[in-house]
Amino acid sequence: MDQQHLQGYFDYNATTPISKGVALSMQPIINLFANPSSPNRYSVNNRAVISQARENLAGLLGASSENIFFTSGGSEANNWAIKGVLFKHLSHPGHIITTSMEHASVLDTVKYCVERLGFSVTYLQPNIDGHISVADFESAIQANTQLATIMFANNETGAIQPIEQICKVAAEKAIPVHVDAVQFVGKRLVDVQQLGVDYLSLSAHKFYGPKGVGSLYIKDRDSIEPLIHGGGQEFSMRSGTENLVAMTGISIAADEAKKDLVFWDRHCFKLKQQMMTLLENSPIALTFNGATNYASALSNTLNISINGIRGEALALRMEMLHGFIISVGSACSNNKTKQLSHVLTAMGLTEEQVLGAIRVSFGCFTDEQQISRFVDALVTEVQQLLRISGSEPS
Amino acid sequence: MYNDIIIDNFSHPEFVGDLESADHQFEIGNPVCGDRIQMQVSLDGDSILDSRFRAWGCATSVAAANVFCRSIIGKSFAEVSARQTAEISAMLGELEPSQQHCVNILNELHRELSLAVSLEEG
Repeated sequence: MDQQHLQGYFDYNATTPISKGVALSMQPIINLFANPSSPNRYSVNNRAVISQARENLAGLLGASSENIFFTSGGSEANNWAIKGVLFKHLSHPGHIITTSMEHASVLDTVKYCVERLGFSVTYLQPNIDGHISVADFESAIQANTQLATIMFANNETGAIQPIEQICKVAAEKAIPVHVDAVQFVGKRLVDVQQLGVDYLSLSAHKFYGPKGVGSLYIKDRDSIEPLIHGGGQEFSMRSGTENLVAMTGISIAADEAKKDLVFWDRHCFKLKQQMMTLLENSPIALTFNGATNYASALSNTLNISINGIRGEALALRMEMLHGFIISVGSACSNNKTKQLSHVLTAMGLTEEQVLGAIRVSFGCFTDEQQISRFVDALVTEVQQLLRISGSEPS
Repeated sequence: MYNDIIIDNFSHPEFVGDLESADHQFEIGNPVCGDRIQMQVSLDGDSILDSRFRAWGCATSVAAANVFCRSIIGKSFAEVSARQTAEISAMLGELEPSQQHCVNILNELHRELSLAVSLEEG
């Protein structure tokens, strides 16, 4: 990716640019037309492409390749993990533990299982730092708890959850744990065996790979129902002729992440510290939402509430007048409702803090000059919005 | 997505501020989304001489306040009061469903102006 085109991009948690290596690797694969499941000689090579992709993903997660299953992305992986586990219990639907700050692909799937299939659910609430507590998790366990599904890192705040400790507690009660690691994989090291997770979702486009491909790590394939029945691909767990181009993309993205993520992480944490210092020394009144230290939050994410402004209005001025792309969790919905960030609301922020919040996320293509320019533009536009509202400092 | 009318009026709102001597001022707000607009108007006989606003809210509501000011300055009060809903809606261009509440804001600004001037005359 030409970095010139990424000067103003501060929304890496929504999606990352595709890396040059990934893009180049995918181009020749489009000509490999043979069906990998066919017995002919063209297909042999294509099967090798899939095997290599599975190996590379396994390498990134500290897993064995037979535990890696390709999906169309993170949402499919989350849906599969939850429904696939719970469908084993349809005759005796039990209890699920999740959190109130999950991605919609988890929250809506759990809601479906509760409303349509008779399961019950406990939603763990995050504290003001954006973390759930292991003690709360332990207290939520019931005799019939059949699944815990908890995100690794939150997409809005970057807050990292205590997954290893949760897995330990869950293992003592034989409760399977699914982890939505879509925002975590490619940013921090993951070792599924050390963590003790049973299922882990990831998505290529969050770590410089292509859209439309992700994966579900499954520790024990007998513990989960297949997602798609048919031709027997993906060890008969997710049938359908494979997308070699996408698999190559995620394969190279995983390989690059394995080699470079420690460097990327260090680079991002330096930028985060730089941005925090510049903002703290600026004239605008703001609060960082959620934990910001290295151990407790992702290095590339800052969620900021700015007093006296609407995040939505700031985001538009940043884009239209300076070319900076950021994200907001709250917006007008229609005449009767508004969409407030469910994550920040669950953390206990006031409505004004939630409406004044923006999310800034960056990555390996961001540099110090961009951070400085970004903060300059942010200060200018916050002051302009305060002037519009008549609440600028005198 | 925002249309060009919204982007132009939100990015460069030329009618932000306070009038030195306003003949009328009123405030409207949307209790659901929390948007607030304070409007000031000065008159010269039957005509609207000048108008300024302050706004806290989404981009579309700020733009609506600016569009309103520009649309009334130099016009007669009767002319502004005679505007129909369709004409007022068209002033903001094509809006996404999430931005439609700003048509209500614009309608309300017209209503409040009529009310303020009528009360004065009454």
